[in-house]
Amino acid sequence: MEPMMRPFLLVIAAALLPVPALAANQVALDNNVFVERIQTDDSGKQRILLEEPKTVVPGDRLVFVLNYRNGGTQPADKFVVTNPMPAAVRFAEAGGSRPLVSVDGGKQWGLLADLTVAEADGTRRAAQPADVTHVRWAFDKPIPVGGTGKLMFRGVVK
Amino acid sequence: MTKAPVGSAKHRKILLPSSSIVAVMAALALPAGAEAQTSQPLTRAGTLITNTATASYDTGGGNIVTVDSNSVDMHVEELLDVTVAQNGTGDVPTAPGATAQVLSFQVTNSGNGPEAFTLTAAGNVAGDDYDPTVNGIYIDSNGNGVYDPGIDALYPVGSEPLLEPETSMTIFVVATTPATVGDGDRGIVTLTAAAKTGTGTPGTLVPGAVGEGNVGVVIGASGGTADFDHAFRVAAATVTLVKSAVVLNSFGTAIPLPGATITYTIVANVTGSGSVNDLTITDSLPPEVSYQSGSITLDGGTLTDAADGDAGRFDADTVSVALGTVPGGESRTVIFRTKIN
Repeated sequence: MEPMMRPFLLVIAAALLPVPALAANQVALDNNVFVERIQTDDSGKQRILLEEPKTVVPGDRLVFVLNYRNGGTQPADKFVVTNPMPAAVRFAEAGGSRPLVSVDGGKQWGLLADLTVAEADGTRRAAQPADVTHVRWAFDKPIPVGGTGKLMFRGVVK
Repeated sequence: MTKAPVGSAKHRKILLPSSSIVAVMAALALPAGAEAQTSQPLTRAGTLITNTATASYDTGGGNIVTVDSNSVDMHVEELLDVTVAQNGTGDVPTAPGATAQVLSFQVTNSGNGPEAFTLTAAGNVAGDDYDPTVNGIYIDSNGNGVYDPGIDALYPVGSEPLLEPETSMTIFVVATTPATVGDGDRGIVTLTAAAKTGTGTPGTLVPGAVGEGNVGVVIGASGGTADFDHAFRVAAATVTLVKSAVVLNSFGTAIPLPGATITYTIVANVTGSGSVNDLTITDSLPPEVSYQSGSITLDGGTLTDAADGDAGRFDADTVSVALGTVPGGESRTVIFRTKIN
């Protein structure tokens, strides 16, 4: 990207960055988003590249990766990670990690296969990935001191 | 709280080095159908997408701690996409030499930002029987879907209007049909719409272009340009007249003696895929015969001689029958009687 072309946006972006979450004595949660781009090499072979995007276009496929590390001095019990879906991103899938999801803005949670969505005529249909508003992982074992892990899900720019 | 079966999540290894670009195996590709939903509106150019996650946990004794992740920001760039289609189905009928013939197109901005499109209409394309002469490209100024001469404006060249994302405009191509075309001939007009900001390879950035919200501009799947072939079909018709006469004299023979009756039969055959309008059959009688009043029939039905509501009349020495519009494939038979003077 050309930083000289959009100084205004860069200022905004910098202002939105929170204080680094890696404070001592607690669990750190590091958030990375990658865009999957298909590249065709000279021999016609296709490869998927993961890039850290500053910009995306509708239809881009995003990989959200959350790294956690217990940097505290106590095990972290009842550890729950929640990622609200950005409004402009449609949830796609979360691989085999089977997170809890919400399809109603975070009121109710469950596995996607167990949730339903109200139709305009009052009936309910099975929830689809596109209905997901929040993704959540709730751990049943404490994260030990120094314990780390990685969570991921995919989405598509609407 | 419901516990998710997350045993595998903790140990799942996803090899994503922190370098900005990394090639990974195709196994990471999205499952088929994951991006099948396209009916939703596209995210508008310039939109900021921010992702932040939250973790909460208990450090013992019910002491719940909540931490936020860093936020990742992405701006949505402007995508240039366009589609062109025809309004209505099938070809538009025309006739040899007809002027102000209209083809109606729909041009849709299928990108995610406002964009202006250059339009070109070509009548000299291959794959048809003749080349319509394109007279002009007009925009449906009053939005009624019908070309209104003098009301719908010429599509402005150089100051093309901005079209909002996922909206359409109705475009009329006005053309003349050459006089030399034959029945059934087809003449294609190709309307091409090209994004003014740029066209090219899908996925590439338009150099130097700044889109809505101060973002970059990317060529969409259409390449930023689209076209559609819409066609005229000539519906012409030709008329052939066949006249025959039967003589019957008072002796019951066909010798044309004075006082013999001559029964004239005129058959009008119309052929072709079109129809003929205002077809009138007239026959001026020679002075050697006298018209027998009230003898005109059309397809077996009797017509009066007066210039009145029905199709037939006899005036001075002329029999005439007004047939109106006759479609191709049909015929009309007119019969009248005269006597030899």
